[in-house]
Amino acid sequence: MMETISHLSLGFGVALTLKNIALCFAGCLVGTLIGVLPGVGPIATISILLPITFGLDPTGALIMLAGIYYGAQYGGSTTAILVNIPGEATSVVTTLDGHQMAKQGRAGIALGIAAIGSFFAGCVATLIIAALGAPLTKMALLFGPAEYFSLMVMGLCFAVVLARGSILKAFCMIMLGLLFSTVGTDLETGQERLTFGVASLSDGIDFSVLAMGVFGFAEVLRNLENPEARDVVKAKIGRLLPGWEDIKQAAAPVLRGTFVGGILGILPGNGAVLGPFASYTMEKKIARDPSRFGKGAIEGVAGPESANNAGAQTAFIPLLTLGIPPNAVMALMVGAMTIHGIIPGPQVMTRNPELFWGMVASMWIGNLMLLVINLPLVGMWVKLLQVPYRLMFPAILIFCCIGIYSVNNQPLDVAFTALFGLFGYLLIKLGFEPAPMLLGFVLGKLMEEKLRQALIISRGSFYTFIDYQERPISLALLIVAVLVLAIALLPAISKKREEVFTE
Amino acid sequence: MSLNQIERAQGLRIRSTQDFAGGLFMILLAIGAYVFSWELPAGTLRQLGPGMLPKAFAAICGLLGLMLSLSALRYHGEKLAGWSWRGIFFALGGACLFGLTIRGFEFGPIRVPALGLMVAGPLLIFFSGLAADDRKLPELLIFAVAMSAACILLFKYALSLPIPLAPWLLGI
Repeated sequence: MMETISHLSLGFGVALTLKNIALCFAGCLVGTLIGVLPGVGPIATISILLPITFGLDPTGALIMLAGIYYGAQYGGSTTAILVNIPGEATSVVTTLDGHQMAKQGRAGIALGIAAIGSFFAGCVATLIIAALGAPLTKMALLFGPAEYFSLMVMGLCFAVVLARGSILKAFCMIMLGLLFSTVGTDLETGQERLTFGVASLSDGIDFSVLAMGVFGFAEVLRNLENPEARDVVKAKIGRLLPGWEDIKQAAAPVLRGTFVGGILGILPGNGAVLGPFASYTMEKKIARDPSRFGKGAIEGVAGPESANNAGAQTAFIPLLTLGIPPNAVMALMVGAMTIHGIIPGPQVMTRNPELFWGMVASMWIGNLMLLVINLPLVGMWVKLLQVPYRLMFPAILIFCCIGIYSVNNQPLDVAFTALFGLFGYLLIKLGFEPAPMLLGFVLGKLMEEKLRQALIISRGSFYTFIDYQERPISLALLIVAVLVLAIALLPAISKKREEVFTE
Repeated sequence: MSLNQIERAQGLRIRSTQDFAGGLFMILLAIGAYVFSWELPAGTLRQLGPGMLPKAFAAICGLLGLMLSLSALRYHGEKLAGWSWRGIFFALGGACLFGLTIRGFEFGPIRVPALGLMVAGPLLIFFSGLAADDRKLPELLIFAVAMSAACILLFKYALSLPIPLAPWLLGI
């Protein structure tokens, strides 16, 4: 306990310097700015804004990125409530009741309760990270290559099961990501693999090229094609601070949402995405009058939004302690950290404690900023929603182009990104959801490394992964992986799963 | 007889062109990856070679693609929708123009001088902006200049990224 407090105070010492507060503020602000744009979810927002952190020191850059992430999350909820367009899967639920509230002239209260719920969830999640960080990192040291490999296999299985749409297609995307990760120079022999003799491919496909191509460019192409009918709420936003009645109604859902979301967020694989759904279903089940849901029930905004934010934040735990990103957004964070020369994993905490705890503390500050800054700025965000797409997408493109160029100062990278944009557009046309691909791509390299290490240690025997005497953790993780896949493929469950993800 | 059984009795035909094409796409990619990693030694289980994982992943991709195509014969799903060539041409073309002009390039007889962000920026915005159905040229022109100026201020001066501005004019 004392340890946690001293860690947190170290973190706040780092995060509360004027420069880092300013960076956190800027991150939250631009994150919301881009995240509010309809059809631009957190993944796209972070990939678009990645370049603006390039010039900073690693700690500052990570603090800013964390700010961008919360900003993007919050911006997504704003769009969901005001325009009825979910930026990503996790804000789908918010559109159900949030937009209804907005239509009834209670948009301000919906936004307010979303922000307050998120802030509360963020506070709790920060504490959880601080409390679990040290013990989990110690546990990570027990993990050998075999356990790491099995953990990643389990994470990918979860990601398959929890992806939107067809399981088979999500599986395809993960494998494709893994396949892409093998491009480049082989780790041991130095042989070039699948590079087609292109020099810039010998280091592998650049992460930012893939991310911006598939999530920046391809999204633009997708949005250009279906000019979505924007149902911007005409009614007044109304007052932002919920009244006593509202708070009393929302308090319990916020607590439950935080709890559910926080726990699901820790799961490797995309656990965080389940939080809002679980919370919404739970609130609906508990409610005295379930028929109110879908017609502007405040519980239907408060619960899922808290779950969303709690999960979004506890998703950092596997990343910071084990170095394994649980979802596509965190995969993006890995890419960002690597660009700044930090390899995520248990060693971050011991080697750069001020970076680790500074980032944890800045998460809390970021949440606070969202509350104090973004709520008063809601009017501005509404204006932003009225910017026509014909001007928005060229702006997105130039941000992406400058960003990609700045990663390596390589003009050729821009052309590569355009190619990946085309590829991503093709995937979208074929009905594939590309987010799992990014996760597979980031985990692929790590998996190959760990697989080889494990096999060298075991002298080439695959038995090492299921050796219940020597490596019970690895066996357990693999069993969970198989169980999850098997359960998801059961007809009854897969039908239910479809319902959940289409609701 | 339930509806499903009636459907099944009608024999195999493509019931979801999107899934079917998706499956074929995966198979093609897998074959491509397999062919291009042909030369790489796969090694043995004891000592994995550089070719083992690319080949293994490609094989799984191909298998999944096959399953997807086959499932499209049985289950109904989305139809394949048309492409928007205009978006691809203008938006991605704009990005390529940016890449070509930002630092210049030489390709055989074609030679483009390094024009820098001052030219490449407005060029990208204007060209890609043509992709929108509701484009308005004067507005787009003004926006191209204003947005580029904002980007120059942000990236070159506020964030001091080493990006050429206009080497032919300003020398930076």
